[in-house]
Amino acid sequence: MIGDLMKPKVAFFDFTSCEGCQLTVVDSLQTHVDLLDAVEIVQFREAMTEKGEDYAIAFVEGSISRASDEARLRRIREQAAIVVALGACAHLGGINAIRNAQPLDDVRKYVYGDKADWYETYPARPISAVVKVDAVIPGCPIDRDEFIGVVKALLLGKKPPLPDYPVCVECKRKENVCVFHKGGFCLGPVIRAGCGAICPTCGDGCEGCRGLIPNPNQDSMSDVLVKYGLTVADMLARWTMFGTYQQMEAGS
Amino acid sequence: MSLRMIDKGSMAAFVSNLLQAYEVVGPRAKDSQYAFGRITDYDQLRLDYNTTILPPKKYLLPQEEVLFTFQTEGMSAAPVFDTRPRVIFGVHTCDIHALHLLDAVFATGQRDEHYLERRAATLIVGIECLTPCDEHSFCKSMGTLSASEGFDLHLTDLGDRYAVEVGTPAGEALLARYAANHGAGESEVGLLDKMLSEKWPRFSYRLDFDGNELPALMAVSYKNPIWKELEGRCLACGSCNLVCPTCYCFDVQDRVSMDRKTGERIRVWDSCQLAEFARVGSGENFRKTRAERQRHRFFRKGKYIPDMHGELGCVGCGRCARACLVDITPVGVWNALHKAHTA
Amino acid sequence: MSPIPTVGSVYVPSPARVAKVKALTVMEKLFTIELPWGQSLGHQPGQFVEVSLFGIGEAPISISSSPSRSNGVFELCVRKVGDVTGALHGLEEGATIGVRGPMGTGFPVEKFRGKDILFAPGGLGLAPARSLINQVLDERGSFGRVMILYGARNPAELLFKDELEAWRQRSDVEFLVTVDRSDESWTGNVGVITTLFKHVVVNPRNTVAVTIGPPVMYRFVLMELLGKGIPERQIWMSLERRMKCGVGKCGHCQINNLYCCQQGPAFNYAQIKGVEEAI
Ligand SMILES: Cc1cc2nc3c(=O)[nH]c(=O)nc-3n(C[C@H](O)[C@H](O)[C@H](O)COP(=O)(O)OP(=O)(O)OC[C@H]3O[C@@H](n4cnc5c(N)ncnc54)[C@H](O)[C@@H]3O)c2cc1C
Ligand code: SF4
Ligand code: SF4
Ligand code: SF4
Ligand code: SF4
Ligand code: SF4
Ligand code: FES
Repeated sequence: MIGDLMKPKVAFFDFTSCEGCQLTVVDSLQTHVDLLDAVEIVQFREAMTEKGEDYAIAFVEGSISRASDEARLRRIREQAAIVVALGACAHLGGINAIRNAQPLDDVRKYVYGDKADWYETYPARPISAVVKVDAVIPGCPIDRDEFIGVVKALLLGKKPPLPDYPVCVECKRKENVCVFHKGGFCLGPVIRAGCGAICPTCGDGCEGCRGLIPNPNQDSMSDVLVKYGLTVADMLARWTMFGTYQQMEAGS
Repeated sequence: MSLRMIDKGSMAAFVSNLLQAYEVVGPRAKDSQYAFGRITDYDQLRLDYNTTILPPKKYLLPQEEVLFTFQTEGMSAAPVFDTRPRVIFGVHTCDIHALHLLDAVFATGQRDEHYLERRAATLIVGIECLTPCDEHSFCKSMGTLSASEGFDLHLTDLGDRYAVEVGTPAGEALLARYAANHGAGESEVGLLDKMLSEKWPRFSYRLDFDGNELPALMAVSYKNPIWKELEGRCLACGSCNLVCPTCYCFDVQDRVSMDRKTGERIRVWDSCQLAEFARVGSGENFRKTRAERQRHRFFRKGKYIPDMHGELGCVGCGRCARACLVDITPVGVWNALHKAHTA
Repeated sequence: MSPIPTVGSVYVPSPARVAKVKALTVMEKLFTIELPWGQSLGHQPGQFVEVSLFGIGEAPISISSSPSRSNGVFELCVRKVGDVTGALHGLEEGATIGVRGPMGTGFPVEKFRGKDILFAPGGLGLAPARSLINQVLDERGSFGRVMILYGARNPAELLFKDELEAWRQRSDVEFLVTVDRSDESWTGNVGVITTLFKHVVVNPRNTVAVTIGPPVMYRFVLMELLGKGIPERQIWMSLERRMKCGVGKCGHCQINNLYCCQQGPAFNYAQIKGVEEAI
């Protein structure tokens, strides 16, 4: 399915994003040098200038926020046997989707001032809103080990691992003091694990960069946030940080 | 078995002597709470702890453990056993009961040598709780406020010394070899008796009925509306299982090297509260709702495990209640069931 | 005790050789597995093995061959649904897999001797049922009537077509087959498996029924079998659950208080009637 099983060609692409996820990939290449024995990278703006077009696996970073992005993404989809959404922007629309909840003109004026009309832009969308996506590596930025795990799974012909349980599971396995017990707030109970509960481990609440688990009990989670002292407005704001696109889709 | 005494002044030497031959683990401070951890110095050991986030179970059934390593070529595999001599120091009696149950679970039917080998290399030094750890515990209702077996040594704080109950010959040898100790005089025996009898009224029965009636109560509670009510609150976060000293469900996964030639099969703690726990390959999920999963959890603790092993599946440590952000607690659930049944 | 050595750990599989691979349908392949040194698996019909592919994972698969035909090999009929089953489908003859087992409790064949046996497998349920069917046929003289009612979703999904044909032709087997949806090649019965029951008349006291299929099927087939007056203890099923250990530890296979991997997967209806999560 993915061409040369022994050493598939992979390429990296970016759309609207901060490129932080690709930097994490560059980082992973440093710690997992054997990755380069397993795959051949033919296109990666962050790390090389050559551009090969015969890739089998495409890692796509960034959200889709312009009409012209769509054509480019579709071309990638046509070429690649496997398309992987890399990071929260590609997976969920990311932080870029916060603006979706506001009228577009306002956003454009806010960002571009009086040059607003020069830029074509529409609500930020995850790449899955435009093309079929075979795997996602969530997170803002992505987790290095998870990236390596997904590459290994693809090489084995397995479905790439994507935890369907919440951050609390990893947090408890690490025996962290719960952020709520320290007076903080955390979305961990309804957010997809896989990051190793890195934020609670560092003492901060989970902000939900990996998106919701399937069938989250969001009402009860909202009640918890308010019970522990958030105002309703603050509670709602927490859901929109990374969840805007998912929320709006669920609501529409 | 016998009763010995260790002066508090001799405790530091006891622990540092142990360190020569054993890995010693015990309660340590973690932020405002406590967690079992490696002890390299007596001062780290907080025998005055209330409770720990995770139970000492993690030294016998770790959060993640390698079952065997493998080579994909020829499918050859070598099991991995952890037989490092270890002393778990400062185990409360609820956790002693929980380990006793796990010993039965892993030795019943097909023996789980990964657990049992670790267990055989482990010595348990218990410590008596003289005051309730916090408002969530209900050990008195579950009959775990004291323990007469399941430890090698068991300490009770008598002020300037510890009374040490010897539970096994291995414990006796440990004491003889590593601790300056002396036999209990008549006044010391009297003091111990006094401490133990005075502690009893400090704890309250938090269940409205005897814990031993749980299996019978559960038997008539399957259709109780409470499970539906929990559906609305429960976050399906799994925390209640993950912190429980008697939970032992696990998932099994493979990890491979980048060249896919070698790897290991691991098991990790799992939770029956997670949505996909009972889903099969063909797509069917046999416990789809949070209500069904909550019911399963409480039935396991209150009925399935006692029916199978003759010991209650909950030791009343209260960890799940402490961890649950929506206040789903065994005391709350079981008292509600009891009330519904007796009303 | 398992004839396969466990090297000190119940979780370590033994290597076994894929002696033969045969495609049965687009979704199912039949694997003939050979244990080292000509060992026989020594299983009961209804038991399963845990099949491992290192790096991919492990999956419980019913033993499809009859103990009466073991001679050093056994057969697994595998439907491709995911990682392990998909990777198995990619294997060629001569490949090595890992095997643990036989596991679980199978059908109590000895108790069935002298009885009439009504088999009602649906879909992939034929794979485990076939183990018992072939044992009964190999020891035909010690059983009464043999009735086989088999249902599949469509003609293309019928398993073991050669064997179905052989059963149809035997005068000492009453064989009926149906498909939920027919196609132009099909001239037989159309309808769900329960539509076949009106064609058989049984002596309920002396009949043992063995039905294996997906959960939805059980509810309807049970109604038919109970309607014919077959006693609850004589109605046998095999239940599928998620399994992560196969040795009664991991908790995934629990059906209320029952461990499917230990007390099951074969259960009679009397055992599971009051067990709410069973069917
Ligand atoms: C006792 C017993 C006997 C069996 N006998 C046979 C047999 O004879 N033949 C046979 O073919 N099968 C049999 N099975 C079923 C077989 O074990 C499963 O099909 C197999 O375990 C699937 O493993 P897998 O790795 O291929 O699939 P997986 O990769 O684990 O998943 C398969 C499918 O399930 C879905 N899935 C898996 N996990 C989740 C999840 N967490 N959330 C959502 N969806 C999920 C996936 O999308 C995928 O499509 C038996 C099962 C049991 C318990
Ligand atoms: S800190 Fe967050 S992730 Fe960790 S247990 Fe508490 S709620 Fe869950
Ligand atoms: S803890 Fe939450 S916010 Fe932090 S990395 Fe994980 S999913 Fe993202
Ligand atoms: S800890 Fe509470 S919210 Fe989380 S799964 Fe358990 S009962 Fe539900
Ligand atoms: S169910 Fe709760 S109280 Fe009971 S043993 Fe487990 S964690 Fe402790
Ligand atoms: S539950 Fe009881 S025995 Fe356990 S730590 Fe608390 S007070 Fe001690
Ligand atoms: S499969 Fe693990 S307990 Fe049955």
